[in-house]
Amino acid sequence: MNTLFNTVNFWRYNSSPLTQFEIKDLISIDTPILGNLHISITNIGFYLTMGAFFLLIINLLSTNYNKLIGNSWSISQESLYATLHSIVVNQINPKNGQIYFPFIYALFIFILINNLIGMVPYSFASTSHFVLTFALSFTIVLGATILGFQKHGLEFFSLLVPAGCPLGLLPLLVLIEFISYLARNISLGLRLAANILSGHMLLHILAGFTYNIMTSGIIFFFLGLIPLAFIIAFSGLELGIAFIQAQVFVVLTSGYIKDALDLH
Amino acid sequence: MASRLARSALGAARLRPSIAPRALPALSTAIAARNSSGVPAQDPKSKAQSLIDALPGSNLLSKSAILSSFTGLSIYALSNEYYVVNEETVVAFCLLSVWAALIKFGGPAYKEWAEGQNRKILDILNSARADHTQAVKTRIEDVQQMSGVIDVTKSLFAVSKETAKLEAEAYELEQRTALAAEAKTVLDSWVRYESQVKQRQQKELAATIIAKVQKELENPKTLQQILQQSVADVEKIVSAKQ
Repeated sequence: MNTLFNTVNFWRYNSSPLTQFEIKDLISIDTPILGNLHISITNIGFYLTMGAFFLLIINLLSTNYNKLIGNSWSISQESLYATLHSIVVNQINPKNGQIYFPFIYALFIFILINNLIGMVPYSFASTSHFVLTFALSFTIVLGATILGFQKHGLEFFSLLVPAGCPLGLLPLLVLIEFISYLARNISLGLRLAANILSGHMLLHILAGFTYNIMTSGIIFFFLGLIPLAFIIAFSGLELGIAFIQAQVFVVLTSGYIKDALDLH
Repeated sequence: MASRLARSALGAARLRPSIAPRALPALSTAIAARNSSGVPAQDPKSKAQSLIDALPGSNLLSKSAILSSFTGLSIYALSNEYYVVNEETVVAFCLLSVWAALIKFGGPAYKEWAEGQNRKILDILNSARADHTQAVKTRIEDVQQMSGVIDVTKSLFAVSKETAKLEAEAYELEQRTALAAEAKTVLDSWVRYESQVKQRQQKELAATIIAKVQKELENPKTLQQILQQSVADVEKIVSAKQ
């Protein structure tokens, strides 16, 4: 109950565009046992669970009682499958890349669903959190590195040597390539979270301005319709970004896997 | 929305004597100009009916009940601050507008595309079914051409039976001929053998006689006897001649 009041007060008094990204406990249990154990369901945890639930629903709808002719849901899944399959085939390898398709598909649909959940009013954008996106990106890059070592052994380090590089420049280029390889950890996660975060912040900042304009009087109310139209356009753009960022994420992941498999 | 606000402002001005009706001359002329414009206006009755139809509910009573309860709940929520209108409302409005536009415009387009895809799959399945039916029909027709196969088989069987019989007879005759030829050969060989044996016996007999004669000739007594016989014979001949 206390949490509910806090939420109401939060919407009433908190107008900072960053407060929407705060991770809070929705339900928590503080027990005086096991060293004051704190068990909680946070808002990000709740929305990720919701995402998993939506995915389950979508997949159940798509099965369409295993009929030969699918419904609209299964057609959407099929087209998504075909799109991601072409990404995997083009980016990784038509022969050896197929094995990574389930991973790429799961990654795409997870990011897309969470991006879209963030687009629902009064909800929470899980993918705007660096803790989530960095967890994904670090895991992916680490996994790709392990894959590279498993496949090529120490020869994997040849990834850091650009083809046709003069011997004198080799130490410098290897250092640069190594830093660039490590930067993949950051860049992959940062790109997704920064896009979603900035989009939501922009919407809230513009909405704050527009709200202030529209509540200043009748004339201003009509004047406020102009920035409102812009915000609607930005919202449409955000919807596009939700798809594009999920696609970019999986394209880059496929590229990293390809690097680990083929070494340039 | 704008005209409603303007009309309410005009109504308020008429209700309040403190605001002179001439304070809003521009609005009055604008409304009058709009009402008398040459644009063919929609029939007010049908317009009203379409607005009523747009409301949720099955009949007029439920529509008005839903509308009034929704209004009452909205007023209650707003007055008790269960829902607070703030900048988040603006964001919600914008996002819902985008979702609504997506559903309104993208939905039918997607549905059409999905139905097209389904139709494509359905056409492939139907054509495959038609092809299969055609193949089965062709096969049936092919088989039908061989419907007289029983009679043909029967006659063929009779021919083959006759052939087998003739073959058996031919074989029997062949065997007989072979046996006769063999018997002839054996008999011929017997004849040859017998003749050879006879010839040899005669040869041996001649040789024995010659040898005996020669042996007899070596005996002087026999020679003497022969000589005497010969002389006697000669004498007999001579005496006979004389």
